[in-house]
Amino acid sequence: MAINILIVDDSAVMRAMILKSLRMTGLDIGETYQAGNGQEGLEALNDNWVDMVIVDINMPVMNGEEMIGQMRENPATADIPIVVISTEGSEARLERLREKGAAFIHKPFTPETIRDTMRTMLHLEEND
Amino acid sequence: MKHIVLVGNMKVGKEGDTIVTYALGTSLGLIAYDPVAKVGGLLHAMLPLSKSDPKKAEANPCIFVDTGVPRLLEEVYNLGGEKSRLVVKATGCSRPEGDNEMFKIGEKNYAVLKKILWKNNILLETEDVGGAANRTVQFNVSTGELSVTS
Ligand SMILES: [Mg+2]
Repeated sequence: MAINILIVDDSAVMRAMILKSLRMTGLDIGETYQAGNGQEGLEALNDNWVDMVIVDINMPVMNGEEMIGQMRENPATADIPIVVISTEGSEARLERLREKGAAFIHKPFTPETIRDTMRTMLHLEEND
Repeated sequence: MKHIVLVGNMKVGKEGDTIVTYALGTSLGLIAYDPVAKVGGLLHAMLPLSKSDPKKAEANPCIFVDTGVPRLLEEVYNLGGEKSRLVVKATGCSRPEGDNEMFKIGEKNYAVLKKILWKNNILLETEDVGGAANRTVQFNVSTGELSVTS
């Protein structure tokens, strides 16, 4: 089944690179949505059916960590798989995100890393 | 049939063929194959960029990564390979210890490869690159199996 993906990053170039990488994976990607910060991301989640969220951490208005926190508190979005793609180096912050069930990809990323992370996540979903 | 790929060269084959190349060192060894059509090829490219010697590149594009990779893909498509089924694996590009510019060629070969694959919307299925190894590669076109030894 095609998976709908929301990409949240304040850089349009980065969103385009992530989208291109996703298309290269050969996975069945359905609708894709984009948002420039956490606030817009939450709005996009409200308006659309989304199966997976790919989110940056450092963004204006609302950062990725806060967006993830709010997603997890809302029953409608609490179980959506999350991949964080960021330059973030703080181990404490990464640990907090892992506790919320997010996978992590370091920037700069390779498209192969995105594919491998997606494969792992989708495989885990199948076995649930 | 067994094909041997010399430095700065490539060979393509079909079911029943094995393609071998020896002593990759800092060179890139790239295989591309279609597991359904059972066709594939192996490139042994020595240097990253054709602009360093355009005349040489025109005579033999397989010397350079930027001209050799598109040539490999083209030849595999010509044999009936489909882009949507293509499996691509990289090896070689070793990084021997030393300060000499020569030793950085492997890294450059790898960087140029990744750029060209990105442009062509192709992902690497596997990679066995870097380190000090001087790899020999054997590619079985029937099974798609790749054996890398050093
Ligand atoms: Mg950012």
